Amino acid sequence: MSAFPITIDGREVQVEEGQSVLHAARAMGLDIPTLCHLEKCGPLTSCLVCLVKINGKLVPSCGTKAAPGMVVESETEEVHTARRTALELLFSDHVGDCLSPCNLLCPLQLNIPVMIRQIESGDYDAAAKTVRHALPLAAVLGRLCNHPCEKGCRRGANDDPAAIRELERFAADYDHTQELPNLPLRAPPTGRSVAVVGAGPTGLAAAYFLHRQGHTVEVFDRHHEAGGTLRHLEEHQLPRASLQAEIELLWRFGVKFTAAAELGVTVQLADLQRTHDAVVLTVGEVSAEERARFGVPSAATGLKADPNSCETSVRGVFAAGAAVKSVKHLVRALAEGRAVAECVGQFLRGAPVRRPDKPFSSIMGRLDPGEQRAFLAHASAASRVGPCSACAAGLSRVDAEGEASRCLHCDCRSSGNCVLQHYAQTYGAQADRFRTKRRPFEQHRQPGGVIFEPGKCILCGICVKLTELAAEPLGLTFIGRGFDVKIGAPLNREINAGLQQVAAEVVHHCPTGALCFDEKAAPPHAHHAH
Amino acid sequence: MTDFEPTFVEEMIARHGRRPEALIPILHELQGKYGYLPAGALDHLCTKSDIRPADVTGVATFYDRFRHAPVGKHIVKVCKGTACHVAGADKIDDAIRRHLHIAPGEDTDPTREYTVESVACVGCCTLAPVADINGSILGHVTAENAADRIRDHFANHADQTAQPSTEELVASAAGAGKRGVTIHVGLGSCCMAKGSDGLYHALREHAEKSAVPVHVKRVGCMGMCHRTPMIEVAPEAGNGDANRFYAGLTPDHASSLIRAHFRPRGLLPRAREAWRSALDGLIIDVEPPATRVAEVEMKPREPEVRAFLGRQVHIATEHFGRVDPLDLDEYVATGGFDALRHVLADLKPDDTISIIERSGLRGRGGAGFPTGQKWRVMSAQPGPEKYVICNGDEGDPGAFMDRMILESFPFRVIEGLAIAALATGAETGYFYIRHEYPLAVKRIRAALATLERRGWIGEKLLGAQRPFRVSVVEGAGAFVCGEETALIQSIEGKRGMPRLRPPFPAQSGLWGKPTLINNVETLSMVPWIVRHGAEKFAAIGTAKSKGTKVFALAGHIVRGGLIEVPMGTTIREIVEDIGGGVTPGRKFKAVQIGGPSGGCVPARLADTPVDFESLREVGAIMGSGGLVVLDDSTCMVDVARYFLQFTEAQSCGKCTFCRIGTKRMLDLLELLCAGKAQRSHLEELKRLAHQVGAGSLCGLGKTAPNPVLSTLRYFHDEYEAHLRGHCPAGKCTGLIKYSINADCTGCTICAQQCPVDAIPLTPYARHTINLDLCTRCDTCRKVCPHHAVEVS
Repeated sequence: MSAFPITIDGREVQVEEGQSVLHAARAMGLDIPTLCHLEKCGPLTSCLVCLVKINGKLVPSCGTKAAPGMVVESETEEVHTARRTALELLFSDHVGDCLSPCNLLCPLQLNIPVMIRQIESGDYDAAAKTVRHALPLAAVLGRLCNHPCEKGCRRGANDDPAAIRELERFAADYDHTQELPNLPLRAPPTGRSVAVVGAGPTGLAAAYFLHRQGHTVEVFDRHHEAGGTLRHLEEHQLPRASLQAEIELLWRFGVKFTAAAELGVTVQLADLQRTHDAVVLTVGEVSAEERARFGVPSAATGLKADPNSCETSVRGVFAAGAAVKSVKHLVRALAEGRAVAECVGQFLRGAPVRRPDKPFSSIMGRLDPGEQRAFLAHASAASRVGPCSACAAGLSRVDAEGEASRCLHCDCRSSGNCVLQHYAQTYGAQADRFRTKRRPFEQHRQPGGVIFEPGKCILCGICVKLTELAAEPLGLTFIGRGFDVKIGAPLNREINAGLQQVAAEVVHHCPTGALCFDEKAAPPHAHHAH
Repeated sequence: MTDFEPTFVEEMIARHGRRPEALIPILHELQGKYGYLPAGALDHLCTKSDIRPADVTGVATFYDRFRHAPVGKHIVKVCKGTACHVAGADKIDDAIRRHLHIAPGEDTDPTREYTVESVACVGCCTLAPVADINGSILGHVTAENAADRIRDHFANHADQTAQPSTEELVASAAGAGKRGVTIHVGLGSCCMAKGSDGLYHALREHAEKSAVPVHVKRVGCMGMCHRTPMIEVAPEAGNGDANRFYAGLTPDHASSLIRAHFRPRGLLPRAREAWRSALDGLIIDVEPPATRVAEVEMKPREPEVRAFLGRQVHIATEHFGRVDPLDLDEYVATGGFDALRHVLADLKPDDTISIIERSGLRGRGGAGFPTGQKWRVMSAQPGPEKYVICNGDEGDPGAFMDRMILESFPFRVIEGLAIAALATGAETGYFYIRHEYPLAVKRIRAALATLERRGWIGEKLLGAQRPFRVSVVEGAGAFVCGEETALIQSIEGKRGMPRLRPPFPAQSGLWGKPTLINNVETLSMVPWIVRHGAEKFAAIGTAKSKGTKVFALAGHIVRGGLIEVPMGTTIREIVEDIGGGVTPGRKFKAVQIGGPSGGCVPARLADTPVDFESLREVGAIMGSGGLVVLDDSTCMVDVARYFLQFTEAQSCGKCTFCRIGTKRMLDLLELLCAGKAQRSHLEELKRLAHQVGAGSLCGLGKTAPNPVLSTLRYFHDEYEAHLRGHCPAGKCTGLIKYSINADCTGCTICAQQCPVDAIPLTPYARHTINLDLCTRCDTCRKVCPHHAVEVS
């Protein structure tokens, strides 16, 4: 075996004879995307997202052997465009949602199906963690949210949407019955500090997320207590105790609170700027006269801030929520807090400041009645939990689990573990670049727990090869030709029949959610995106 | 219920073997016997052979030929080749389906009598549009006559479900006519489709009856497909008379032809002949034979014949129209196997390769890779196990050169393959021929059998101490198998999925061994080059493209046919001089060269010489040599859509760019043709076309965008017009409307002919068309005697 150098993106790298360009590039730390690559399968060269440019031609790096003197382009605009196009083409024929509609509609991106599965399986603590991960003031939101999620719930097309908000509240309330309610994970301290002015919903949410990033956060409010407008609600709308419990949680988390501090009166912006690395103004709706005292330019509707970065014209000073523009719904106000926290985080890291994008997701759109039925087949037929059982006391455990079992689980079981989704995010792929009539959604549940969703298959060929290598008696094969090729077991058998020996290996290596295990039938399978 | 006989499966395994490479031949047998692949038979095949179930299902579902459900008693195939497409194949398809009561989305009628399917190209482009009923070709079908033609066909072949070719009836007639006059009858597939087999038998019958000393001889393609069925009458050697040609014949001409040319010898036969003529005269009103014969005589000095043949140079098609494809003695007598004998006796492999290199021969399959170089790489590979393959998977719609060469000159191609094997050190050869060319398969098999009988092939090539074994493998309907690596997979009994090159087949090919793959036409030129010398070949053609190129000339052209011209001949010379230009009254718009990998060269670039480089410069490619002439009735967006439909359907489905990219391009083109596209769609089409070309794994995908790119380049205005909802050629059915103007006299012809009753019958009153029912089949416009039907 001889070794020789090749050049990738202007850098020289030593390769052994017989090694692929992909191998060499990865050895030097380049993250060339691959979907169909698995060492033991040899180059399958089907997905073509690993393209590189050699000699003026795009070639798949996985199947191209390095040769002495080779000059390779990898991280260039042209190559990236080609890789992105391959991903976009795959998405144009990808039937399924990465994230469920409820999740996508939630301004705070709560992973609702995961929470529901946790409740259904009785793991309330995990459900609480999931809720706390996405929602500040979870118990408050569980009562007051206008639940846009439920509008998107696919169950709603059949009878009524799942009672998502009630389940959220159930998880949050359960958390508060514990000795020490859950706190989300916090990044190591950064040594930077942020002043948040205004302890209303947006301010508290900003504080929650900023603190998690590892910054030191101090919240100022002109009132004696935090909560802002939430304090004005009637007891039946929002029990004081719930609000208090959520706010206490923040203080326990480590967020500092300074009461009776009014900006422009008792506290000056310049002082805050001196003592903190960034200032966030979340003062809620205030009059023009009051705003004039703050020391940042104002517009007609409120403080003037760049909608894309939450930055005011004063460097290091951000504004968000009703202080900028009136916000109708609580969940939106909290989401604004989250957005400004992200922007401040970027600012403190020295990164370009941009409000975060919506998470990437393939979107299946409306289901036809047949597809709807297929989803319903695996959900409880019970009707939505009655309003009474959800009023004052919240759902009982039985009701909560019953309600949870109504969920269609229309999210992708692989979301978070999906290589396609991962690289789509990395490459900024547009899932809907090619809009076209999609194929019907299909789901084949197999005895033994394998779930096959052919619409998510990218025909990488890994499963075909693995079953061949394992000498499965039947194995899997490509069926048909061209655009209509499918993966399946031969001789009209169910997919299961082809996976007698290597089901676990095959499912594990499936780059998308085409082959999964049923979470109820198989060993726990990581779902969480984070 | 068993729908198959287990013993038949076992017999087939016994015949073809139990190894994976036997799979496709066994599936062919099952398909042939049952008309589809019964599921039980496939199960049984798995249990009784060493073939993996995954391969059985994978292969059985990959190739077009294999069906998985029972079919009707009769199979009607509608050819969707380029020439047929531009001649309205879709309308014929509609008409046939309507006539046979086949419901939309189905392929078989409710009584299970008829199954209708589309076929990529049957290679009878000069007869376009073409349909194939149980193996018989019907040429020049129209939407109006389709129903009658089918009815007639079944009336004449009432008890036939599968048409055996008359080829079987043809015993080798060698020696029969060494004395006397010879009549050459062209018996290529196209000629036979137009009835030349019937003519052949009629001539033989009449000759026999009248006991004249005449040898009715089967020959291959005569080239002038537009005049077939056609014969050449060659006088007795030394007689001094000129050869005479007759064209456009029917079997009915046989007796008059024989009578016109031959006086029976001997008193008795002459008397018998006179008696018979007299009788015939009593029974039927026979015209004076001379008159009838004169009508069909074609004078070689006719300007159009001279124009057609004048520019041609025959190398691959040497002795065209004169030799019996399967007469080995005649082949030898005309110089056949001289080249091989010379190579065997006098040349070292290196010498042979050097001849080919010096000749400048480049691959005729499409890309034009230098043949000598390919041979040299292959010869440098370590042996002894090496293979040579003749690529006869001519799948481009609109191309039929290779079919014609295989049918007409089987020995020549075999000789070329043998020379290639000697030069590169291979002892085993394969013919890979698409199953859509049954006559080509049959003739190559027959030629090989003849050679084996004579001991010229097998263990001793031409009797020398040198083995050369040759097998024939039939494709099963997959255009992509023309790609070298896919072809190899197919011979190995797998799905025809190309793989990344390198390694090239010369390094790792069939069974992982060094493999040389050459196209039919390339190989057919090799014996000539060896016989006449490299220099003589290199003297023909242009600086970089040497020799001649065979083209299948078809489409909107007066004289379609099979032609061989020197490289460098211009498109104009081919279209106008040889082909006689487009249909009178029409304007020459473009030529489509290179099929789905090629492009459309506009009329204004007609002076482009036909050679590899010049064609590439104008955005087309030589391809295998299909040359479809398009007149101004052609919509170029529709042509692009047509080719994308083809490549999308023929993509193997392996790589993302080709599998999904061609589909998305087709989606966009369909939007354009339906008038539903916006500018952003057109922009996306351009972007995607470049990306599919750059990103695809094999040649099929890489070249698939060419028809789109070349029409975008030369006919951008037509794309723009479609964006505005207008199809300038009036072809895109989504964009046109039929109406009847005031010239209508209420003659009701249109109403009677309308296949979907979209025109209410209103005698003496102006008719109207219900556009919701109208399928834009164009019948009403064609039948209206008053030109009152308008298209807008």
